[in-house]
Amino acid sequence: MMLICKRLLWTIPILWMVATITFALVRVVPGGPFDAEKHLPPEIVANIKAKYHLDKPVIEQYILYLNRLAHGDLGVSYKYVNRTVNDIIGDALPVSIQLGATALIIAIVIGIPLGTFAAVRRGTAYDLAAMAISTIGISVPSFLVGALLIYIFGITFKILPVALWESPSHMIMPALTLSFLPTAYIARLTRASVLEVLQKDWVRTARSKGLSLQSTIIKHVLRNSLLPVLTIIGPLTAILITGSFTVEYIYAIPGMGRFFITAVINRDYDLIMATSLIFAVILIACNTVVDMAYTLLDPRIKVKS
Amino acid sequence: MNIGAEPPSLDWSVTTDSTSFDVISNLMVGLTQYTANLSCAPACASSWEITDGGRCYVFHLRQDARWSDGQPVTAYDFEYAWKRLLTPKTAAQYAFFFYDIVGAFEFNTGTLKDASKVGVMATDPHTLVVRLKKPAAYFIYLTAFCPSFPQRKDIIERWGDRWTDPEHIVTNGPFRLSTWKHEYKIELSANPLFFEGEPAIKRIKMFMVTEQSTAFALYENNEFDYVDNRSFSTPDVERCCRSPEYHNIALLRNNYIGFNTTKRPFDDRRVRLAVSMAVDRNIFPTILRRHERPSDSWIPPPLAGYASDSGPGYHPDIARRLLAEAGYPGGAGFPPVELLYPNREDTRLVVEQIQDQLKRVLGIKIVLTNQEWKVYLETLRRNPPAMFRNSWGADYPDPETFMNIFTSHNGNNDTRWSNATYDQLISKAKAESNQELRADLYRRADHLLCAQEAPIACTYLSSQNLMVKPWVHGIAFNALDLQFFKNAYIQAPVNSNKADFHTSIPCSHATVLSLPVTSKCRVYQQLSSAVFGKTPTLARGSVVACPNLSPAVTESPAEQATKESAQ
Repeated sequence: MMLICKRLLWTIPILWMVATITFALVRVVPGGPFDAEKHLPPEIVANIKAKYHLDKPVIEQYILYLNRLAHGDLGVSYKYVNRTVNDIIGDALPVSIQLGATALIIAIVIGIPLGTFAAVRRGTAYDLAAMAISTIGISVPSFLVGALLIYIFGITFKILPVALWESPSHMIMPALTLSFLPTAYIARLTRASVLEVLQKDWVRTARSKGLSLQSTIIKHVLRNSLLPVLTIIGPLTAILITGSFTVEYIYAIPGMGRFFITAVINRDYDLIMATSLIFAVILIACNTVVDMAYTLLDPRIKVKS
Repeated sequence: MNIGAEPPSLDWSVTTDSTSFDVISNLMVGLTQYTANLSCAPACASSWEITDGGRCYVFHLRQDARWSDGQPVTAYDFEYAWKRLLTPKTAAQYAFFFYDIVGAFEFNTGTLKDASKVGVMATDPHTLVVRLKKPAAYFIYLTAFCPSFPQRKDIIERWGDRWTDPEHIVTNGPFRLSTWKHEYKIELSANPLFFEGEPAIKRIKMFMVTEQSTAFALYENNEFDYVDNRSFSTPDVERCCRSPEYHNIALLRNNYIGFNTTKRPFDDRRVRLAVSMAVDRNIFPTILRRHERPSDSWIPPPLAGYASDSGPGYHPDIARRLLAEAGYPGGAGFPPVELLYPNREDTRLVVEQIQDQLKRVLGIKIVLTNQEWKVYLETLRRNPPAMFRNSWGADYPDPETFMNIFTSHNGNNDTRWSNATYDQLISKAKAESNQELRADLYRRADHLLCAQEAPIACTYLSSQNLMVKPWVHGIAFNALDLQFFKNAYIQAPVNSNKADFHTSIPCSHATVLSLPVTSKCRVYQQLSSAVFGKTPTLARGSVVACPNLSPAVTESPAEQATKESAQ
């Protein structure tokens, strides 16, 4: 409980720093939110700037922004007129969480057994095959995986929808595409970690006492080798549930990932700052959960409160 | 169908982009509406009078126009919408289009506080009077332009920023907004109260698929019935261009290379002309491969003032002579010149081609610089380089929308070119009510711009590529890149996925698929003479069989009737 409270307290200055740095960066970048192919007359630009308080000195804009933020108001979108950033995030984030969580489950369910299997069968053809698969998973970009899956399952065999977000079956290909890279990472990390633990004296002792390989792996080895995996699952979760630009783009999914890119392209200041803050909040939350999970997996670890 | 992206807003007072206009054009109608050949026909206004030498427009509204909630569409709705557009607090980007109205500029810039002094007034529920500061021959086109559509004061005041949500918005066009899942899809449903009759298609799903290959795969899987450039990669265009489902439309969007006339060496008109004459425009459709039209003049066909000989043409020998006269024989001594372009594949192909041609023909070296879109725009606004690549799309079908931007004090004149003769010609043309005289003024101005002074070198006209499933008929496209579904219908559904569409043909009249206007006119004439022997008169629900042209290209009786009544 103390850990959670302390982390929560630390979150405030961290978020303030993220907000401040992002606020400064978006205003330094050349090009403004209302630059368009057709330049607007100065009178119109003046009206727009007044509407969004962009006519005020930067320091005043900053204070206004922090004041809004303190009240839970992430601002308004300059691109999507009449929509608040809270609305935009509120619509998109649940979709990304749904997709990201599914991809994470797939990655864990496939990645950990694959890595363990490769470690146990080290040096065999199985190991080589498993690691080849994971190397491909790391190397092949998701837009290519997505395009291939669409071509094979959507266009050639027509057994899965090509794209869109209409039913559970529409989630299969995007979730597989999104899970490809984390599955490979988890598999490789698990393999390395399991190999290391398998060299330990106590594993040899357990085996010499007659414990089966299966029991040794499940009861002893995995529990000890999962700590490094757990470490990357924190940031991995944050990355997955805040959405992937590529996967959402390819499959036309109304998630949040696209805003990390399009908000910058559109110079949509408040939306850029909101995506950064949301990512920071989720990352902090995931890392806190991971830290808590350490103590459950390995009682020797005690978190200093 | 695919609209490619989330419409930034469905509030027609504040939005400015083509995606939003694609949706709004099917939800709303204004005082007038564009016909297939881009003239203005009556819509909410059944007729109008132009008096006081072109300074006063009196619109008479039809009695049977209704909002989707059953309320009558009145002149007060127009007055409210136009004044809301001009209110500084609305911060409408397109408010400047209405600066010709008395008091509009002053009201929009805050120097006039009294809205009643703006020259828009509903004198009764069915009469709207608009007073202009000076005659503006193109003004009638603005009454078919989305920002001029009426709005309901009670709805906007009640719901505030959320008035465009499907549960609140009221519309007066062929469709109602029934669903809006942001960043995903919009669904329109037929409006039974539409004064031209309820559309045959009861529901339209507009998805927002950004990735072209995905959108096209959905079309090929029969999940989309119609796709356009937003769903077309260049290889798809090449693969499908011989399909009967394929259509291509020349758009009123011209592309050009601009010269900063305040910077060496382009402060010398001979250098500008030399560069313009050294560019062979015929190469652009070959490298861009989306059926663009080469163009060396600024006013595109079929707008008034277009002339095929307005441009400088391709004359390498004259170009070399002009460059030598300017002091750079064979390109010797030509200073280093930067050509700026936005970071896009098509623009890269164009500028590389120009770089190559100028090197070969004139012996001059151009340095290419690309910038991210917003950075590029800011560079153009603050300090345009010696050369830059740009384009301009028409807001309304009048040469004014193109010619005005190169007048001396226009904010979009990135060339910094200033010419008193040109300014006078444009000023005269703007006020001229005689269409022939007006076209001649624009023709002279276009010649001055492109072939004599050459602050720009036009390159090509963009085009719209479309694929329409054979069972879909009657979608109307026009060169302003707008699409209309009010007359669309399904003739022969091929699978059960078409449940959202009506399978019968209770359409109000036979329909139009607009090809490029030049093609359309030709085909229309052929139809009139060869098929019908005269202007076709089609019964309700009839379908025109048109060999080698699918779907049929003709004008509907309703359009003819509306045009006639306008005249």
